[in-house]
Amino acid sequence: MSRLVQKSPSLCTDLPLNNSDVCNKLRLLKELLKSCYGPTGRLKQVHNNIGGHVVTTSTSSVLLPALSSSQPLVNLIRSCILNHVSRFSDCGLFAAILCLTLIEEAKLSGLRRNVSIKVNKHLLGMCSSYLQEEDCGCRVVLDFCSSMNLITLTRSVIYSKPACVLAEVEALHMSKLAVQAFLLTVPCNSPGTVRLGRIVTVGVEGHPVLNSAVLTGLLVEVHDHLSLRMIKSMQTNPLRVVLFSASLAGDLSDLGDGIIEAHTGVDTDSQILDQLLEFCKHVVEDEVKLFVCQKVLHPVLQQYLRNHGVIVIDRVGVALMEPLTLLTGAQPVATLHTTIPAKAYGTVRSLSVKEFGSKTMLHLQPAAESAVCTMVVCHRNETMLSELKAVCQQAEHVLRLTLKEPSALLGGGCTETHLAAFIRNKSLNEVSQTLTAVECSQSEYLLGVEGFCRSLESVAAALQHDGGNSLTDLTHAHHWTLPADVTTENMEESLTFCGCGLTRNSPNMKWTHLNTKYPQFSPAPALRDSTVQPHVLDSFTAKLNALQVAVETANLVLDVRYVIQDTN
Amino acid sequence: MLPVERLHLDHVLQTVSVLESVVLRSFGPEGGQMLFIRDTGQAMLSRSGTKILTALRLEHPLARMVVECVLKHSAATGDGSKTFILLLASLLRMIHTTACKVPNVSHMYNSREAAVASTARRLAKKLVAFAFEELDDIFAMGVAPYGCCLSQEDYILTAQSQTNNPCVQKLLATFFHSRLGGTHSDLFSHLTSEMLINWIVRGEHPSKSLHFIYDNLPALHTPVSGFSISCSRLIEGQVIHRDFAAPCPQSDQQPVKAVILTGFLHPEVLCAGEVLQLGCEDNGTENSSWKQSIMQYSTWAESSLECAIARLRSLGVSVILSAVKQSAAALALAAQAEICIVECISEDELFLFGHLSGVSPVTDCRMIKPDDIALLTFCRPILLGSQRYVHVAFQDLDKRLIIKPCSLIICGAGEGQTDQYVCAFRDAIRMQLSTWRPIGTAASKQTSQLSKSESLHAEDQICKSLSFQQSLMGPGCVVPAGGTFELLLHHALLQHGRSVSGKADVDRFAVSQILANALLSIPKNIYSHSSRRFLETQTRLMGFINKQKHNTNLEQNLEEGIGNQHCCREINTPSEVFMLDLGLESLSCKYQLLLAVLQCVSNLLQVDTLLHINTTSHT
Repeated sequence: MSRLVQKSPSLCTDLPLNNSDVCNKLRLLKELLKSCYGPTGRLKQVHNNIGGHVVTTSTSSVLLPALSSSQPLVNLIRSCILNHVSRFSDCGLFAAILCLTLIEEAKLSGLRRNVSIKVNKHLLGMCSSYLQEEDCGCRVVLDFCSSMNLITLTRSVIYSKPACVLAEVEALHMSKLAVQAFLLTVPCNSPGTVRLGRIVTVGVEGHPVLNSAVLTGLLVEVHDHLSLRMIKSMQTNPLRVVLFSASLAGDLSDLGDGIIEAHTGVDTDSQILDQLLEFCKHVVEDEVKLFVCQKVLHPVLQQYLRNHGVIVIDRVGVALMEPLTLLTGAQPVATLHTTIPAKAYGTVRSLSVKEFGSKTMLHLQPAAESAVCTMVVCHRNETMLSELKAVCQQAEHVLRLTLKEPSALLGGGCTETHLAAFIRNKSLNEVSQTLTAVECSQSEYLLGVEGFCRSLESVAAALQHDGGNSLTDLTHAHHWTLPADVTTENMEESLTFCGCGLTRNSPNMKWTHLNTKYPQFSPAPALRDSTVQPHVLDSFTAKLNALQVAVETANLVLDVRYVIQDTN
Repeated sequence: MLPVERLHLDHVLQTVSVLESVVLRSFGPEGGQMLFIRDTGQAMLSRSGTKILTALRLEHPLARMVVECVLKHSAATGDGSKTFILLLASLLRMIHTTACKVPNVSHMYNSREAAVASTARRLAKKLVAFAFEELDDIFAMGVAPYGCCLSQEDYILTAQSQTNNPCVQKLLATFFHSRLGGTHSDLFSHLTSEMLINWIVRGEHPSKSLHFIYDNLPALHTPVSGFSISCSRLIEGQVIHRDFAAPCPQSDQQPVKAVILTGFLHPEVLCAGEVLQLGCEDNGTENSSWKQSIMQYSTWAESSLECAIARLRSLGVSVILSAVKQSAAALALAAQAEICIVECISEDELFLFGHLSGVSPVTDCRMIKPDDIALLTFCRPILLGSQRYVHVAFQDLDKRLIIKPCSLIICGAGEGQTDQYVCAFRDAIRMQLSTWRPIGTAASKQTSQLSKSESLHAEDQICKSLSFQQSLMGPGCVVPAGGTFELLLHHALLQHGRSVSGKADVDRFAVSQILANALLSIPKNIYSHSSRRFLETQTRLMGFINKQKHNTNLEQNLEEGIGNQHCCREINTPSEVFMLDLGLESLSCKYQLLLAVLQCVSNLLQVDTLLHINTTSHT
């Protein structure tokens, strides 16, 4: 019987941004994300209605997937930001907050949608070309001769995730480790195109963060403890390794789709096993000391190999195979009948047993220089550990991005305020040239510019959660924070450093509150004094893309005039 | 008794007006996007009329009929679905007002509504007949002279100087403006025209190359989400949307030799349906030699695999592009022999690779000939977004094919956007294809011949025009966009109406009036945000037409007898420059659109009753 169900007509919303319900939801989302932003951001607990795992987080990559909404526009923004996060691992909240604020400002300005879209796009072009300029005031060129800036960059990534619950010392320790691990993956003496190695992260629960460490080589979990006893007797250096990528459990997989009829008295299992044993004999004759199998190894074979003094590791999984080939130089074997060529074998320098908490691991040291290393991440409980592991991977990604574009942006909200001041100044000076390109009147253009700059500044202001005031100075246009309990009279004493730590309080400096009118000026780049280093840095590539994605998404949402929801 | 619903003109008008109001939101320069959420929760963005209409999932039978007509039309031309609805609504409105004005003279009808309906029906039929008989001429006389013709050289010329001949790019920019909005139209028209320059074979009709691109589009583009749209670009060669099955060794040797393989490297011992008997000794001598162990079969298979790899190695092959998944043993042996394998490549991509490299796929590696080996300048991994793909470029293309193959990378913030861009790109190619289609089919030409013999008294000018109609509206004719076509046709129709009004043919006059006035709704909606702009454009155009007429008359007086070829000349006079600001659109698409709308109107008005049938579910 056919089960044809009539399709129900779609649900339509005309001009969704004029709908107060939609606007309320967008505002709610903005407030929620704003409260998570920055190192002092508030944490969110995510739990589902069927008693699932409770996640404590403030990172966009965990938070945004949880915030699915019935409102299509919210989902649209969410998926755009998540796509950015999955490519760049950083600046997700920045992009989301900027995008939502831009939408709100465009609505407040009362401009025609097409005008706001054009102005936003024009200003985005202005921002990205300024950021790529040589004398850009908020960009710092990274110096790979010193690890100082790299550590600062990593620390900013790690420290901006309060759900890791790290003390200052711990954050510094983790960022040093992340930079160390990253440097280990860069091969030193390989000519031609450089291929970065791998960092394998191992999480250990219940240990203090300061016990985390970076080791050269690989840590492989061992399931049986029998073979570990033999390690002490192994002194021959280096050890020969074979890597097996096919299953050795005694099954036949690639004979085809035909039917096999076995008559009584024929034991195919033992036939196969005999063949496998024959094969293992060759391996033993070739003086292999470490036998690694991606899949399952037959227990009989395990026993046989162990009796002949071979250490067996099976079920390592496909994820570890690539680092293992990189480390040992072996080529995975998947054939049973052909003799293994000598070059398919790999070597390790030494084996040792490492114990981390409840885990017993085998430590494989590379024989030659290899770009594989292991990062052992320790934390007190599971949620914090999973957050910390994710953050370490993000930090690794951010560091890798610096290889493509060796620069960083000033953090702590200084880039945003600086950009806003720059845009205000530049667009006022060049107003007549741009009007033809944007096709709108001067007042419309200036309204659009004001909205854009206010949005940028409000992202900087969102870093403040403890009731403090956000200020900007009128020389460099950096971002300053005034604690809540300080009155305006003794303001000058309490301000020592700006958000990124590059400019310090000087006698003739003037401040103004963010989002108040101030006379336009051209922001001067901070003095490049080699003794003063910025305390907070953001990834250049990630932030630039986040800026672009935020403006483009906002433009997209502003451009949506009609929503059709298929309710089938 | 079945529930019967009598259809009145009002109902039809109402239904179409609802569709119009939806479509209007994304029409013209002030229009925006439509966000569509599929039943799977997936978001899709679009400004395409067909997408919007299908997304509505309408129930009303009349509305569904309209949507079907739109879909058919846009499947043929790739453009004009929003204009279709607007024109339809406006035509129905005009017919409605005209029909209501006609005094109820006959006593055959028992109600006023029936009288109106029958008048409307008659008008609609007349409209279709009118279009078939006279539209060709009116187009040739009143519209085509103000356009220009794309030529094959346009695609090539753009390669040398982008500013010199912007026709193709203008045409594309106008199209993308209507499909993606103003912010990205320049970027996309630039990318598309560059892609066309690279792909169009010189000395061949462009539509052939356009067809090739259209057919191979899935293999020619890669959507990448998570990046800004400005990262979209063209890259040399082909991107195969698979990763290397085993980590590929870096070798700098050139050229890279590759084969296309459709079969397995590892031979299958047992095919489906075959039976292997183990251990039955009384079953003849043949089997007894094999009976010892099942392992012999896999030994044989493996040694055969080794032979295949050795053969490939001896031929110097370093890349295998495989249509199927190869066994783990094959991958391991290939890796040891430093051969990279790319598995599970789709048929489309292998076809394109075969076409570009000039080799044919092999099923069995043992049968491989040196002719089957493709030479590549490189074959390397390329990271696009989260995916790693294989990027290849071909050697010696200049000798075999006179094209520069390139592949389009389309970036967007999310999947919804990249989908939208890809659809727009595909439709842009289709639109260009229909631009190259000659206007007026064989059938319509026949009718025009008939009409000529019928109305011998028709004006001389029309008769004259018919003779060189071919040259006037050849394939590739484009007219300025931004409502210019509609205003021109409006003007031409009024002129035409005036010329026939002297005769007793009242209906013909009425019909051309209806069509002319209906057409005005398009430019009115384009300039909906400021009626001043509409009037400005109209007056400018009218001034231009008058001036042009003056010139033409002079020209004709001077060189009588010489074919009226001036429509295809280069755009260089300053008076024409303003038209270029508006962009360009294809005349052939417009012509087909008009015919389709008129047919749809007459179809709609033929229906007088809806029968709702209840099908009970059978057990």
